[in-house]
This record gives sequence, structure tokens and C-alpha cells, in this order.
Amino acid sequence: MRIERSRQSVLRSGAFRFALLFAAVFAIGSLLLLIAVERQIGRYAIEATDQSLRAEAGNLAAEYRAHGRQGLIDAIHRHAALGKDAPFHYLLVDTLGTRIAGDLPVDTPIDGWGTVPVDEHRHRGSRPYFETFKTLATHLPQGLRLVVATDTFDVQELTDRLGRFTLACGIGITLFALVGGYFVGGLFVRRLDRVNGSVDRIMAGALAERLPAIGISPEFDQLSRNLNLMLHRIGNLMEGLRQVSTDIAHDLRTPLTRLRQQLEETRGMADPAAYEAGIDTAIEQVDEILRIFRALLRIGTLEGGAGRERLAEVDLSEVMDRVHLACQPVAEDAGKTLFAQHAPGVTVRGDGELLAQLFINLIENALVHTPAGTRITTRLARTGHGILAEVADDGPGVPDDMREKILQRFYRLDRSRSSPGAGLGLSLVSAIAALHGAALTLADNRPGLRVSLAFPDQAEPE
Amino acid sequence: MKILLLEDDAATREHVERALTAAGHIVDSCATGPDAIFLGSSNSYAVLVLDRMVPGVDGLSVMKALRAANNRTPALLLTAMDGIDDRVEGLEAGADDYLVKPYAVSELLARVHALARRPPIAETVATLRVADLEVDLIKRTVTRAGRRIELQAQEFKLLEYLLRHAGEIVTRSMLLENVWSFHFDPRTNVIESHMSRLRAKVDRGFDRDLIQTVRGAGYRIDAD
Repeated sequence: MRIERSRQSVLRSGAFRFALLFAAVFAIGSLLLLIAVERQIGRYAIEATDQSLRAEAGNLAAEYRAHGRQGLIDAIHRHAALGKDAPFHYLLVDTLGTRIAGDLPVDTPIDGWGTVPVDEHRHRGSRPYFETFKTLATHLPQGLRLVVATDTFDVQELTDRLGRFTLACGIGITLFALVGGYFVGGLFVRRLDRVNGSVDRIMAGALAERLPAIGISPEFDQLSRNLNLMLHRIGNLMEGLRQVSTDIAHDLRTPLTRLRQQLEETRGMADPAAYEAGIDTAIEQVDEILRIFRALLRIGTLEGGAGRERLAEVDLSEVMDRVHLACQPVAEDAGKTLFAQHAPGVTVRGDGELLAQLFINLIENALVHTPAGTRITTRLARTGHGILAEVADDGPGVPDDMREKILQRFYRLDRSRSSPGAGLGLSLVSAIAALHGAALTLADNRPGLRVSLAFPDQAEPE
Repeated sequence: MKILLLEDDAATREHVERALTAAGHIVDSCATGPDAIFLGSSNSYAVLVLDRMVPGVDGLSVMKALRAANNRTPALLLTAMDGIDDRVEGLEAGADDYLVKPYAVSELLARVHALARRPPIAETVATLRVADLEVDLIKRTVTRAGRRIELQAQEFKLLEYLLRHAGEIVTRSMLLENVWSFHFDPRTNVIESHMSRLRAKVDRGFDRDLIQTVRGAGYRIDAD
């Protein structure tokens, strides 16, 4: 099975599509903005021109009022001679329309605002170059008319430039967004390709491999971190499963081999009594194998959480008393002593049958793995935090670094290899404790082993 | 006595059938739930032995159907070994006993006998007696040949159970379940240790042993 790889082009990547969309929105937005700015600036320029024309006309009218007709003519000449690119052009005509002063064509409108084309070739080489002047005509006394004009070239130039600038900007921004989108899209595709590559390798069996950080933004890194945590959890579960399968294969091989040998030997027996005894031994061996299977299934079922809904109030004192009484003669026969210090009437939420099995397993462990003369004590007490149950012995104990391991399935201390059992008792204890939400602790009893179970307080909700 | 057996696996069915027949019983066996319901409701049996894990209509459903039809025949349910809730479910459905597969045929036989004898054992009996051994259930006293025997509470319960099934084989797991309420098999010799103490008190010093060990099966208390 292979996952679908996003080998598609950058142009189809989500990031690029986003970039494209943003480029379009941005381009339209900036275009609208620039058009508005251009309009505003154009209007302002026109207003400024009108203002200056009005001011110049006002100036000249003032000259006329102050110095009369000749004063006005002098002022016109004076202003017109200010330079080659004088800002204003003039025309002063009498009632007949005869030019008195100024260089504007005589057909210039002589009423209010107007425009007139003027050949500017004098300034711009030999080719005729017509430019539109804006004119303002003012009526003066004695039928005189004064026309002040200024070229609109600057305003037009400004609006033209603004237009070109706007267009260039729009195109530039759009291109920039597209190129940026292409690169970001490429970045995404490449990074995701790396992630997909990792996923491919993990699926192909490289279970230790983890996804690289996607980068780009913290959210994506969070995503890959979470995916890695998930992979880690799956990896642990698979490791557990593999461990169990290996253990089963390994630990059942020995009893199965013995069984086979037993049956082979029995087949050759001539004496009916010996034959029967051989078969009985074989049946015992099969029962032992079945016991291992049953324990494994029980552990598996309990670890799967089965039976949790069956938990009810259980008199733990009664359970522990019963287990104590059941085991006492067994301990005596083994030359060991069993003590009980049980607070009466202690109840927990649990399964009485499973709890009995738990304590029997702990006592059995203490009986099997200690020398004669060992004292084994079971305790049950209410503490400030909840309920504490203990099984402690003064035997040889378990080395510090082994205490966690002996809870694992099939794990056995080397010195216990020769004693009966399959190494499943404590695994079952651990599974039952977990089902009850009880904290299982293995500690040094100085000397010996002390196994404690801290049950959650009854008052606490589940 | 007449026994109904529901078991879908042909080899197991024949094996159990042979063992029950050898023990002197008449066995009607079938492989499917509907057959079992038909046989169970049209015949009178002493005990029903029903495999819980039969495809289709399973033993539990057969159980419920027969109980719904007011059939009170004692029933033994055979359950899977990983089913933690099976026992409770089976008993709730009306089964009188259960046995986890795979089981020893001797265990099955012992339980079938115990079930068949169930009705006569009234809880109201005040005295249980075998040969010269007498147990007063009200005064909680034990005497043998007129001599008083002091027993501890658990030893008394053990003896009581044996006497209630006098003449029958009781297995270790039957004792664990009924005397100590342990529905699992401890590795330690709980039964053996208690039994040796009980024997020391009940049989030692008397002319013959009442409590017998039945090899490969269990124990029996008997007058013979």
C-alpha cells in the first residue's frame, strides 16, 4: 500500500492558489487606490492652476487700477519677460479685439474660462507642437479685456505619470504576488513531499522514523509534533505486541518440547501402569500450557478494559481475610508464617473475584520465591489519601533495578528460573490493579519485598 | 440419567458423549441451538450441558429460551477461557453452573452429578451424616463415633460441602468455588493443605478413612 503522493506541480499547490487569489485581490485593491489618488491629485493640480490664473489676473487688475493702462501694459511685458518658461502668457485686447499687448493668439476666448491651442515650436525645436493653454479672461474698464493663460502641460504630465505609475505598480505587485506565491507554494510542496517521504518509509517498515517539522508556521509544526506523538504511541503498542508474541513463542516452546518428549517416551512403554502414569504427566503438562494461555488471555482482556463496568462495592477486608485463611495452611506446609493486619469493613469499588486473585498471586509469589522461615504479612488500612493494601515479606527481596521488570509478562529473575510458574502472576496483578485504578508499588521491605496497592479514595468520583 | 448435550464441534461432542455414556447416562446430543431448544422442550432431562459458543443461536440463547418456557432443568454452561464476564452472564441467564473450556471430562462428570442431585439437597437439613460421622449444621458441631471433633470455620465448610455431596466426586475447582468463592485456579495447594488438616481431624485415629482421594478427579466422602 502506498499513500497518494502530491507529486503535482507547484502551480496546483494550495499555497500558490492562495497567492494567486491574494495577488488578484491585492492588484484590484491597489488599482482602485491608485486611481482614486490620481483623481485627487489631478483635481488638486487643476485647482492649483485655476488658483494661480485667478491670482495673476487679480494682480494685473490691481496694476491697472494703480497705474492705469500703460502701467498694465508694462506689467504684462515685465511678467512675460521673466524667462523662457514663464508661467503665464497674456493677451490684452481693446473693444475691437485688437491686440494691445501679450503673445497669445488673437482667437483666444475672451470671456471667462477657456482653452486655446498654442504652437510651442519656438521652445521645442522646428516641428510645430501644439499645447493647450488654459485661459481666464477678465473685463477691465474702457472695454479692455485681459486674458491670462498658463499651460496645462504640468497637470497633464502629472496625471499621465500617475497613470503610468499606477499601471506599473499594479503589474509589479501582481507579478510579485505571483512569484512569491510560486515560491511559497514550492516551499509547501517540497516540505510536504519530505513529510510524505517519511510516511512512505514508515509504512514500508522504518517504524523508528519520525516526521520532519513542516516549518512555515507553528501550527504546522504542532501538527507534525502531534503526528509524531501518535506514531510513538503506535510504536509502543506494536512493540508490546511483538514482545508478547515473542514471549509466548519462547515460553511455550519449552513446555511444548517437554510434552513432546513425554509423549514419545510414553509410546514406547510396555508396562500399562507406567504408560498410564506417562499419559497423566502429559495431561498435567498440557494443563500447565493451558494455564499459561488462560493467564495471558485474562491479562489481555483486563488490559483491554473488560470488566470495568462490572465493578461494584466490594468488602476488601472480607476478601483479604478469606485469602489469608485460604493460604495460611499452605504457608504453614511450606514452613512460612502468614500474618494478617486487616482493618475491618474497608470497601473499595472493584471486582471481588479479581481482587482475591490479585492477593492470592502476591502471597503465592512470596511463598514461592522465599526460603523457609520467611514471615509474610498482609496489611489493609485506611490512610489519609485512600486505602492501602500491602503484601510484605522478609525474604531475599528483589534488586532495585529489577522491580519494574518483574511486572512484565514472562519476566523471571534468574534465581527463580527453577521454581514453578511462568512469570505471569505479577503481570496479572498489575493488570488487575490498573483496572481498579490502584497504584501498584514494589518497594524494599528491608529486608524483603513489599508490594503496595493504593486504592483511590471511595469518595472520589471515578 | 438423561442428559442433553449441545456442542458444535463433532470431535468434542463424541468425546463427551462417550464419557457420559460410559458413566451410565443416556445422552441426546445436537450441534445447533434450535435443535437444542427443540429437544430441551420436548423431552425431560436431568441435566442440560450447553456450549455457550455455538454459531447462530448459542448456548446462552438456548438457556434463556428454555427458562422463558418455564423449563427448570439444571443447566451447565460451557464458556470460553477468556470471557471474564461469561460466568456472571451465564448465571444471570439462568445457568446453574459453568465450566471453562477446555476442561477435563472428569470435571464435567463431577459437575453434572452435582447438578442432577441438586434438588434433594435442602438447605433446611439440620444434620448431615455419613457412617459414624455426624455434622450438626445448627450447633456447628462435628462428632465421629460419639467423639467431638473441633474444626475451624473453613474446615467445617469444606466438610459440609463434601457431606452435601456424599458419595459423589467433588473436584478441586468445585471446592474452590463453593467453599472459598475463588472462581480461578490458584497455583498454590489451597485445597490439598486444607484437606490434609481436615483428614487429620476427621479420619486419623479412626478405623477407616471416610474422605477418599479420587485420582485425577477430586475427593469423595463415602460410607463404603
